[in-house]
Amino acid sequence: MRPLDRVAGGADFFMQKTSAFFEVNRIRKKSHTPAAGASATLLRKRLFAVSMAVVFLFLLIFGRFFVVQIVQGEKLRCRAIGQWTREIPVVAARGKIEDRNGTVLADNSASYSVFVRPNAVKDSNATASALASLFGLDGAALAEKLESTRVSELTIARHVDKSLTEELEKYDLPGVYYARDNTRVYPYGQALSRVLGFTSTDNTGLTGIEKYYDKYLAGMDGEIAYPADLVGVEVEGEAVYLPATDGLTVRTTVDYGIQAVAEAALERVYEQYSPVSAQCVVLDPNNFDVLAMAEYPGYDLNDIPRDDPELLNDLSRNDIVSDIYEPGSTFKIVTAAANIEEHLRGNPSAFSLQYVFNSSRTRTVDGTTIKCWSNHANGKHCSQTLAEALNNSCNPCFTDIALALGTETFYDYLEAFNFGKVTGIDFSGEAQGMLVPESSVRACDLARIGFGQTVAVTALQLACAAAAAVNGGYYYQPRLVSGIYAEDGSIAEEIPTVLKNRTVSEEASRILASLLEGVVESGSGNKAYIEGYKIGGKTGTAQKFENGAIAQGKYVSSFLGFFPSDAPQYLALVIVDEPQGAYYGSVVAAPAAKEIFQGIIDLKGIAPYENK
Amino acid sequence: MSNSSVAAVEAARPAQKREWGIVALPVLVVLVAAFGVLMVYSASYYAAEKQFGDAFYFMKKQLVGFILGIVALLAAGFFPYRNLKKLKWPALIVSLVLLAAVFVPGLGVENYGATRWIGLGPITIQPSEIAKFGFIIFAAAYASEKPERMKKFTGMLPVLAAGGGICLLIILEPNMSVTMVVGLLMVAMLFLSGVKIKHFLIILLPIALAVPVLIVMEPYRLQRLYAFLDPWSSPQGEGYQLIQSLYALGNGSWLGTGLFNSMQKYRYLPFAESDFILAVIGEEFGYIGIILLFLVFGAIIFCGIRTAARCKDMFGFLTASGITAVYAIQVVINALVVSGSIPPTGLPLPLISSGNTSLIITMAAMGVLYNISRGGKGLREKKSE
Repeated sequence: MRPLDRVAGGADFFMQKTSAFFEVNRIRKKSHTPAAGASATLLRKRLFAVSMAVVFLFLLIFGRFFVVQIVQGEKLRCRAIGQWTREIPVVAARGKIEDRNGTVLADNSASYSVFVRPNAVKDSNATASALASLFGLDGAALAEKLESTRVSELTIARHVDKSLTEELEKYDLPGVYYARDNTRVYPYGQALSRVLGFTSTDNTGLTGIEKYYDKYLAGMDGEIAYPADLVGVEVEGEAVYLPATDGLTVRTTVDYGIQAVAEAALERVYEQYSPVSAQCVVLDPNNFDVLAMAEYPGYDLNDIPRDDPELLNDLSRNDIVSDIYEPGSTFKIVTAAANIEEHLRGNPSAFSLQYVFNSSRTRTVDGTTIKCWSNHANGKHCSQTLAEALNNSCNPCFTDIALALGTETFYDYLEAFNFGKVTGIDFSGEAQGMLVPESSVRACDLARIGFGQTVAVTALQLACAAAAAVNGGYYYQPRLVSGIYAEDGSIAEEIPTVLKNRTVSEEASRILASLLEGVVESGSGNKAYIEGYKIGGKTGTAQKFENGAIAQGKYVSSFLGFFPSDAPQYLALVIVDEPQGAYYGSVVAAPAAKEIFQGIIDLKGIAPYENK
Repeated sequence: MSNSSVAAVEAARPAQKREWGIVALPVLVVLVAAFGVLMVYSASYYAAEKQFGDAFYFMKKQLVGFILGIVALLAAGFFPYRNLKKLKWPALIVSLVLLAAVFVPGLGVENYGATRWIGLGPITIQPSEIAKFGFIIFAAAYASEKPERMKKFTGMLPVLAAGGGICLLIILEPNMSVTMVVGLLMVAMLFLSGVKIKHFLIILLPIALAVPVLIVMEPYRLQRLYAFLDPWSSPQGEGYQLIQSLYALGNGSWLGTGLFNSMQKYRYLPFAESDFILAVIGEEFGYIGIILLFLVFGAIIFCGIRTAARCKDMFGFLTASGITAVYAIQVVINALVVSGSIPPTGLPLPLISSGNTSLIITMAAMGVLYNISRGGKGLREKKSE
């Protein structure tokens, strides 16, 4: 007898069903003999319970997989995509920089970077020797590196010529790739170097316009994503090409023709007087567009002295915007403008154009004596009107004006001409100049400010102030860039001309311009005179301060001129820092301004003035 | 007499059906194992090509196991299962000896920091796979000999001791997941052999307490637990395996990427052809594929339960239950691990994951199950007994 029968009482042991889940066997229903072992009913109940547990767990699994695969699926896939591909960068072409007429000032030459994926290389030695011969590398070292490196990608060469990549194609090396990377090219080398600025080797703008407008110029790099396995070996599947978005074209306000003329003039001055530097800014007085902004010496943008950071820093600094100096007599334009405007408004303290200034060489203010640069001997600077004071650049007359107008009124004009604050030009690192605060200015300070001392300005500030004095009295925000253009020539963003404020009235401005025309015609600015053209201007010669004291023999010679004086189209400020041999602005700077004006006349074919 | 009543039952059933038993069971098992060979190839061809220079490296091995498995299934299917009862002690002793042999220097094969295999020349076998079934035979035979002793606490102690001994040897390898499988199997078999609920709870409690102790004992288990709770905190460390598994499943979505199109098999997913093959299946066939596959798994389990329920003797009942339970436990644990529902442990998906010992033994066990469904007939036995 089988043990089971003995215990459970026969064949009916498993005949009773607890559930329809199990096969029903309805032969007979025998009363089971409850022996020592568990009853069949109990065991079946337990089997049913275990089955239900399995069903429950299966439902749990279905639910869990639903959550992972369907609910979280998209999120997981997005995360996973990153690991399934290896990317080769597609470098965006950097945008061009053009002058106002479309002359390209900064461009790219197509070049390429060559990469190797050591994992995908089939034959390290052959690959290394081919790359070595093409790019002048050490083949053995490269082979060694390909074998041993744990890096997934090696850069073999950058800024490689297209011809070399064509050579590379012929070898058909697995694991070797090249991608466009662009080399920045400046067709005019040294021209406008301090304004354009330069880029890093990975095409990020570091200085100048390249930096200020980098977000437009940079574009967006794209990539080619290859499906790859865990260690970066390429696998089957389609590569995804994400095209690069090229940078936009930045159109400057600069006129390359005028820029070239200015640079030539400065180079000539530099050769003749060996100054520290010679600078020039040419503005369009009608909207303060910068037509030229030059400084000599410059540097070749195609050959940047990257390994001499100090020199590079010095050469790439745009002093016209970032450097301040004591302007001297060119500042008298502002003092004269204030006086004329106040006189026209009926301020009794202001001097009329017929008023004859005291001929003394000296003025005593707050116990200090202010002298004219001229000795006033032999009838010089005698019985001058405002016109003559400007012609002679007589300091005491402008002391009289400043003191007569008084701090409050005079500072209103300094404020209107935007001294002591930035012009807001679209260029990084603009200095705001130095102006004694109105609350703490003493009479002797005010007296000196009148003729351009005890005040420090940037060249750009002075040029803008002068332009706002002679253009009818409109102060604009100067700009270097007029707009951003897409490749197809459509405008992406316009940099508008912004009128900041009025300075003096149209009438005062016209009077001032005619007085300044006189300075060039028959005064100290006569070396800028061009027969047949109405040129206005003012010279300046300032002593340099070093460590709080006058530096003997160090001068800043300058000339600010504009033409035609009755409706100014061009305004130029020439500054020569520490000229050797001669130092009067009238001698050193005015001829350079004349060269620039002559150049503009020739360039634009401006006809001479005809007397009606 | 009881013998006559058995005959009466047999006679009442259609002879044809009894002769063939549940044919669906071996058919489904072979189909699932064949699908396994295909998936092992799909999941491993890339890595195998890179590692061994032979895309078919794992697939060939699996194919050998598949063929041997069919042979084992047929042999067991036509071998009267009742004879296994006589193997009560040999089954247990062989299991224990093989498990102990793992620790014999020169015999044991170490891999991934655990000694789980015995190396005999070119063949490596995994004793724990054998021990699972050794335990089933022992426990079923022991309990069915004198069912009444299972009602006494002392009476069930030998089953507990056999299971505990096997668990101990496996945990020493160490192999936490197979230990858990054997532990759960033991619990299921005790439950189904009719022990009193009171006794059942008395043994369940220490087992439940043992789990946290075992986890804390080995620092790597604790780390895995942390990694399971927040895999993203160490995506390159402990969390890596789980994250890669989830990536595969996520990429599968509803319908999957299609056969051979898994991205994760490109060496991102470790053990893609073995413990985590379900992730690759989920990636290539999607959620729908997972559902269909689990319906097939469910059908196999259903066949097993049906076989157990229909069995007329307790040894057959317990053996069928044990084989079905061990299969179900592994399927469930593997699915929970792959879907990140429980901390990752290395457990193959039976019949599908690469690994010949598991495949052959599981198919043989399924053969035994089939034989039980056939009423324990041998090949030449006629329908009349």
